[in-house]
Amino acid sequence: MAESMQDKIAVLEDYIMKKCLWQFHSRTWDRKRQNENILGMTRSLLLEEPVSRKTPEERCYWVDAVTMAEAFRKRCPWLAGMSKEDIAVLMDGLFARIDHLTVSGSLNQELNDQHY
Amino acid sequence: MPYHEFQCSKCIPERKQHAVVKGEGEDLTSALPLGYLNTIPGTISERGCAYCGAKHVIGTPMKDVIHLSHGPIGCTYDTWQTKRYISDNDNFQIKYTFATDMKEKHIVFGAEKQLKQSIIESFKACPHIKRMSIYQTCASALIGDDIEAVAQEVMEEMPDVDIFVCNSPGFGGPSQSGGHHKINIAWLNQKVGTVEPDIKSDYVINYVGEYNIQGDQEVMIDYFNRMGVQVLATFTGNGSYDDLCSMHGAHLNVLECARSAEYICNELRRRYGTPRLDIDGFGFEPLGTSLKKIALFFGIEERAQKIIDEETARWKPELDWYNVRLKDKKVCLWPGGSKLWHWAHVIHDEMGMDVVSVYTKFGHQGDMEKGIARCEQGALAIDDPNELEGLEAMENLQPDIILTGKRPGEVAKKIRVPYLNAHGYHNGPWKGWEGWVRFARDIYNAIYSPIHKLSLLDISKDEIPTDKGFETQRMISDADLPDEVRNSPDMREYTGKYNCLKDLRKKTYPPFEHNVLADAV
Repeated sequence: MAESMQDKIAVLEDYIMKKCLWQFHSRTWDRKRQNENILGMTRSLLLEEPVSRKTPEERCYWVDAVTMAEAFRKRCPWLAGMSKEDIAVLMDGLFARIDHLTVSGSLNQELNDQHY
Repeated sequence: MPYHEFQCSKCIPERKQHAVVKGEGEDLTSALPLGYLNTIPGTISERGCAYCGAKHVIGTPMKDVIHLSHGPIGCTYDTWQTKRYISDNDNFQIKYTFATDMKEKHIVFGAEKQLKQSIIESFKACPHIKRMSIYQTCASALIGDDIEAVAQEVMEEMPDVDIFVCNSPGFGGPSQSGGHHKINIAWLNQKVGTVEPDIKSDYVINYVGEYNIQGDQEVMIDYFNRMGVQVLATFTGNGSYDDLCSMHGAHLNVLECARSAEYICNELRRRYGTPRLDIDGFGFEPLGTSLKKIALFFGIEERAQKIIDEETARWKPELDWYNVRLKDKKVCLWPGGSKLWHWAHVIHDEMGMDVVSVYTKFGHQGDMEKGIARCEQGALAIDDPNELEGLEAMENLQPDIILTGKRPGEVAKKIRVPYLNAHGYHNGPWKGWEGWVRFARDIYNAIYSPIHKLSLLDISKDEIPTDKGFETQRMISDADLPDEVRNSPDMREYTGKYNCLKDLRKKTYPPFEHNVLADAV
């Protein structure tokens, strides 16, 4: 049972780590872009805010965001009971956590190596 | 950092950084081995070379092409029977293998004449094939043969042929992964954009990083056809040379084996603006999600859902049958490449098995990140293990089965660990809903084969019983199952055909939707 905000973030993080692949692109700049766009769009979808999907690239981010937002709603019934403000805090926390795991705290020494 | 030190590698302390155990509360910021670059002098690496990565892994699955190695005949090892990337044109690419057969005299005097003669002979021997890939080897790279110039000369003399040159000699990288990179970029630079794409649908993709192991690609193409999605090119399993030249025409690149082929996707994104979507191809749920994502991109979600519903209804009772019999069995998932992360979570989720160890021989740290993220707690992750480390790990972990390549697989058999070939498969295809059940069936057959009861006997000292060893798999697997599970009317064993591709190849599909009006505008 996810009770604290930290527990809730951990549940969402577990889903991303086990079920997604977009967070593991092979360059730091690419990971940052993926995290920002896909998690940013997921945040907007959960907050029922509009998202742009005019360009093919935006459409790709949107596809991952829609899939993830649906999975979050299905797996985490407690999301339905949260206020928009709390969802925003939750998603900001999740973004910071994923950025830490895949970029700032990552032990992957190849992320910034020009030979890769 | 929860590094794992192998007893057998104590004399090579650097190896400690190449294995970790994912412990309680640990994540990727505390548990990640080194990878790819660091083959340590003093240890024995089982990695392949860059030439192998370019030719045998990425290039040769292209089907309508003469694949010629410019080098000693020995470099062509690993063709048919070891790499089962079949094709729907009678397996031309794995039936024949071509080499210029370089000898010492060529090292001294050069081998360009020999190369030209071999190219012409090869085309004459196979008059219906008009395309060729030439792969440089260490020998031809060291003497500096100008393969491009020779290829150009032949193309001028034989205007109906086209030749692609891949300069990825064995020493061109620390492992076959270096060769993957080189052939991706070489293909993009030399070939993409040289053939006008034949667009037949409003929904057009390139299917990238799929090598058609025992028909995997053909299974996926069936789903795409059923969705009305045109696959312009598959890079490179069952792929056609000319189709692969027209990759720039797709609306979307669907990427499966990221570390072997993401380079071409990234460059297509940069040069042509084609976006990249990473997918999972194995397991009921991951595959369903992948089809849904592609459909969502094009706005045809209901078509994907229809396939998911039909396939799940057909095959779920069979997957369930295996799930109850494979539950809690321990598996060492040592496929060497991308399948460590394609399978790590879904074998656990959908077959109930515990992945106790993952390894890669040439994978990047990014491959390990994905694998470790998807493993359960306690799994041992190893980069580039040698044979002794592999043996030590299996002796400690006591897996019920190992999924790996044929070399470590044969070693596993010697210590009585059942093995399935994760590269060439046993009875694939393993993709698709049916394929996933076939995979479960192969695992079940391996674990519960009655042969293990006899193979555990040591004929040098044990008396061989004559009244035992006649059990069936079912008697062994069902011994501890409750009656209601054993006799469940809702579950059944695999009922598919041995050769499921035969019918797929005969299938017809409605024509793709194509908005002619939009073209005119």
